Amino acid sequence: MINIQNLSFSYTKGAELLKNVNLKIPKGIYLSILGENGSCKSTLVKLILGILKPDSGLITLDSNKISYVSQKLDNFNSEFPITVKEVLSCHAKTIGLKNPKSVHESLHKVNMCEFSSNLIGNLSGGQQQRIFIARALLGNPDLIILDEPSTGVDEKSQNEIYPLLQNLNADLGKTIISVEHNTKIALKYSTHILKIENGSLNLFTKENFTKYLESEESVSKII
Amino acid sequence: MFELGFMQNAFIAGFIVSVLCPFIGLFIVLRRYSMIGDTLSHSSFAGVAIGLVIGTNPLLTAFLFTSICALVIEALRTYYKKYAELVMSIVLTLSLGIAIILISSGKASAKVDSFLFGSILTVTTTDIWLIAIVGGICLITLLFLYNKLIYVTFDETSAKTAGINVKLVNYIFTLLVGATISLSIRVMGILVVSSIIVVPVATAMQLKKGFTTTLIFSIIFGFLDVMIGLVLSYYINSAPGGTIALTSVIFLLLTLTFTRFFNYEN
Repeated sequence: MINIQNLSFSYTKGAELLKNVNLKIPKGIYLSILGENGSCKSTLVKLILGILKPDSGLITLDSNKISYVSQKLDNFNSEFPITVKEVLSCHAKTIGLKNPKSVHESLHKVNMCEFSSNLIGNLSGGQQQRIFIARALLGNPDLIILDEPSTGVDEKSQNEIYPLLQNLNADLGKTIISVEHNTKIALKYSTHILKIENGSLNLFTKENFTKYLESEESVSKII
Repeated sequence: MFELGFMQNAFIAGFIVSVLCPFIGLFIVLRRYSMIGDTLSHSSFAGVAIGLVIGTNPLLTAFLFTSICALVIEALRTYYKKYAELVMSIVLTLSLGIAIILISSGKASAKVDSFLFGSILTVTTTDIWLIAIVGGICLITLLFLYNKLIYVTFDETSAKTAGINVKLVNYIFTLLVGATISLSIRVMGILVVSSIIVVPVATAMQLKKGFTTTLIFSIIFGFLDVMIGLVLSYYINSAPGGTIALTSVIFLLLTLTFTRFFNYEN
């Protein structure tokens, strides 16, 4: 589904963060991207989305129906005067959705219909994240990309968000790519894990990643 | 009062300003971009000074110069991403420098006061036409870009991924701010023009409603501020800009008291 060929990227000339990277991300998986702070997790996602342009190399996607849930909204705060319905309608109009029911249907998928008229700033972090996922579901995308969906969200809310993502992947067949900092969550909910380390990308199935972690642990014990 | 030609002109200009300023003001406030109001009003001061020196309609030169400054601000913002306020200070300094040199040269006529404080006596029919045409274009553009502006204001990154040309929207928006300010200075005055952009919005935000409802209330408050301010300035013989500014602050205080006293919630 996503084919990355010989990709190189740097923010400043001469300091390449990703160098000649190759990767194939198959369709229909739930991929968690793991790595240390500053390991280019969010950068990779922004390259896939086309927000950032690579220095060299190619990223090809076999669908243009992609949605994005960003980590932190630029001007958003609890005082921002906008209702849940307005947040979704705004996106629906932008992507050219004509069906007036689409907003309601999308909210229904995340069990947030009753909050349609609420100000988004009055909702909890977890509820807000579900609204942004509902927004991402508008237009029936094939691929949903999330940048650290659990940032600023308590454990209870995490337990609402991740099973929802898992269901979207398993039941509706959506490909999910989620930048994560929590290895436990990645192992619990995703089907695949992409480990970014020193600019290199390693794709694992969940099972292989568990083995990898076990071997890492045994190595560190020996050391 | 209403049979007087100059008052009719003032009310027509005031009506356009009262709709346009809070409309654009809501986006300015939510982008935390309030400083642009002050910066561009000083740019319009330089524009007025240029007009007075070369003997052209000062509103026209204010509009042209403020638009140029608006474009410069947007272009420089990409260079000073983390320090947007710095860009404002640079343009403000440039504008004030030009204005002070031109005014102090003695080549500008003595009408500067009416632009600084606003004047209901000096709104000419030519001004009305200019304000109506530019204001109409601004309003149509705002309505056309309404959805895109909300999206970019709320979540710029997602707006980009949803296919909005954010850069273009930002440039057009900054131009609209420049145009709105330059056509508002006749009534409001350069020194307090930003009050009609920001205060009605601050008042409407106290009601804690959705975006469109907040916009409608911003315009209603803006309309009341301008109309009451103009009537008062006629009767107490004061400059309209200051009177409108004070009226807007009184409305804000009343709303704050009302919402706190009744523990108003959405």
